[in-house]
Amino acid sequence: MKALFIARTSLRRLMRERSNIFFVFILPMLLILVFGAAFGGGLQPRIGVVTADAGPLGEELVGLMEATEGITVKAVEERDTLVTAVERGQLEAGLVIPEEYDRSLRGGGQAVLDFVARPDPTAQALRNSVDAAVAQQGALLRAAAFAAAQGTVGFSEALETAAQVDEAAPVVGVRQEALGEPFSLDRLGQFDLGAYSELLLFVFLTSLTGSTALIQSRQFGVSRRMLSTPTPVRTVLLGEALGRLGVALVQGLFIMLGSALVFGVDWGDPLAAATILVVFSLGASATGMLMGAVFKNDQQAGGIAVVLGLGLAALGGAMVPLAVMKEFAPTLWRVAHLTPHAWGIEAFEEIIIRDGGLADILLELAILLAFAAVVFTLATWRLRVTLTRA
Amino acid sequence: MRAALLIARKDLRLRLRDRSLIIWGILAPLLLSTIFSFVFNPLSQDDFHADFVLVDADRGPLADSFRQLLAELEDDGLATIRAVDSEVEARRQVEAGSEAFASGDADTADAALVIPEGFSQAVLSGGGGQLTVLGSRSAQLSAQVAYSVASGFAAELHAVNVALHTAFSPEEVDPLRTAELAEQAQSTPNPISVEDITASTRQLDSTTQMTAGMGVFFLFFTVQFGVSGLLEERRLGTMSRLLAAPIGRTPVILGKALTSFVLGVFSLTVLIVATTILLGADWGNPLGVGLLVMAGVFAAMGILAVVASVVRTQDQAGSLGAIISLVLGFLGGTFFPVSQVGGLLSSLSLLTPHAWFMRGLGDLAGGDVVAVLPSVAALLAFGLVTSAVSWVFLRRAVVR
Repeated sequence: MKALFIARTSLRRLMRERSNIFFVFILPMLLILVFGAAFGGGLQPRIGVVTADAGPLGEELVGLMEATEGITVKAVEERDTLVTAVERGQLEAGLVIPEEYDRSLRGGGQAVLDFVARPDPTAQALRNSVDAAVAQQGALLRAAAFAAAQGTVGFSEALETAAQVDEAAPVVGVRQEALGEPFSLDRLGQFDLGAYSELLLFVFLTSLTGSTALIQSRQFGVSRRMLSTPTPVRTVLLGEALGRLGVALVQGLFIMLGSALVFGVDWGDPLAAATILVVFSLGASATGMLMGAVFKNDQQAGGIAVVLGLGLAALGGAMVPLAVMKEFAPTLWRVAHLTPHAWGIEAFEEIIIRDGGLADILLELAILLAFAAVVFTLATWRLRVTLTRA
Repeated sequence: MRAALLIARKDLRLRLRDRSLIIWGILAPLLLSTIFSFVFNPLSQDDFHADFVLVDADRGPLADSFRQLLAELEDDGLATIRAVDSEVEARRQVEAGSEAFASGDADTADAALVIPEGFSQAVLSGGGGQLTVLGSRSAQLSAQVAYSVASGFAAELHAVNVALHTAFSPEEVDPLRTAELAEQAQSTPNPISVEDITASTRQLDSTTQMTAGMGVFFLFFTVQFGVSGLLEERRLGTMSRLLAAPIGRTPVILGKALTSFVLGVFSLTVLIVATTILLGADWGNPLGVGLLVMAGVFAAMGILAVVASVVRTQDQAGSLGAIISLVLGFLGGTFFPVSQVGGLLSSLSLLTPHAWFMRGLGDLAGGDVVAVLPSVAALLAFGLVTSAVSWVFLRRAVVR
């Protein structure tokens, strides 16, 4: 069939440009890798600790902090490195345990810890954890100081007794219980979020930048020559559409299978996932076709394609996760649903996080189909006008 | 030299008429910065706030002290504390917290703190006691803060108990003096104190971070226009005519270099002014920014010149240039703050001029003009090394 032939030519043109291999296949996988490796493990506030020569008590303090849930403790060699790291945002806060910490405390003296932070509320939360650890460690020291103050016993002896008493005394403590569901995104595998976000971003972006190929066809007169043959206009249009769709599907399938194989990404129910890809690609390729029909200069179109592709992806929740938007910026979350990306993400999250099937994503698919239908109608009308113009 | 200037002038006039330059050099970064700051700004976590509920089944003196402690937290603006009647209700609110948006229920909490009945009496008579903290799995940091506050309080009570038992054996303690001793034990200060050191912020605010990132990213595409001009001349056939003039190869290359430099500085300057006015970006001290811009453009020129010198056609230069610009831009932290991610990625980013440009701006934000010098030096080094390498190849490329 002629339409298929035209479509096949589009694909071959794509594959022949070696730089396309990078942009279409390698780059998305690279991004999935980087996002998964960097953000997939959850972002906990980090506190750096300098413990040069702090002694056993210093190590015990670090141990108490490491036992605190929800924060990450990083060892840092020197104070200056720590301060710079905090200033640059590589750490949320820092703690400097001075040399002689152990010695001065055991001798009944005092010690001062430096808490380095920017004027930042997250750092306050970290300060809380530090205070708790300091209180816990200080308890025995205070007990010993109190006992010594009564005059009946020396400090070090009192410290030893305090340690024993601590073991034996009835505990005043806190029982902790976790309730409810973890934040939706925390239920995802390490690379999952990056995978479906980048899939949607790239399929759409590639469809848009692929519009330059269509513009070039028009510029070089290839389209006109196609029309001079006994080929109805609608066949040419169908061929172009299938070409765009073919590219999007090839890229999408590659990303889905590749990420599943290499990163162990869970795409949920295969039929549902494939359907989402197909329906989303319809919308993406329709948009690409519309761009190819409207613009005349391929370099300008390329620039606009990049802006539109990245911009819509950002707005649609493919960069800052949609779920995060929902939690912290509800207005933005609502705006996001004006983009096809947001609906694609909702569909994927339904089947990946909540183990849904086709029946659960009917609304999302319907909206994506409607988007595709509208844009496709516009694109074919516009392309027909442009191609048949003298 | 005069020949180089003439060539540059001709090129600039040609380029400035080309709308592609305006799109890639100014519109694209400006639009994307606007969109990105619209998306990323509401989420710059400058607001930590927790919602706690308190169940006080004890109503004793210790419960009062604990409530006072929580009130301090509220005064600091870190949390809101609400009292509820029962643990059951507290549980319900914490569990509902993780689906808050869906249900639209206002009565939800990140964590619940429960003081059991008889707590004060048990602890004050030397026995033990247990507070309960119920934390929401979807608000881990807030739950952790609740736990820290409660355990700090409990640790304090435990410390007093330990102190009393350390100093006296049970028979020695005079019941009439217990309260007095407890107070004495409690007022024994902790020999460990924590001092706050405020660090300056050597980091760009969210908006400036976005705009700077987009600026330096698209800079490479702008400079590309100038650099690939050499290849274009060859393709169009005007190269041979240029070389027919008694000027030698050097002015031709220099002219193109000058064009790239002017285009790069011009587009970045327009972007800086536009984002400052339209988006409220704060790039910092103009002198420092100027130094970074010039050094950054020089680095971009060098890298893209190397690209231009190893390919044969303008299209190839465009593709390879785009790939390299993307990889470097990405690694360099123009799309997301690599330094905050840490690890290998953070170290690798220092191999890119983009990272040094961003770092220079960050240092400028936290200091004065002198702070940009290390980054300027790094960028100049990038530029010098790559220019030297490309010079060798370009001279060979500039042929009829």
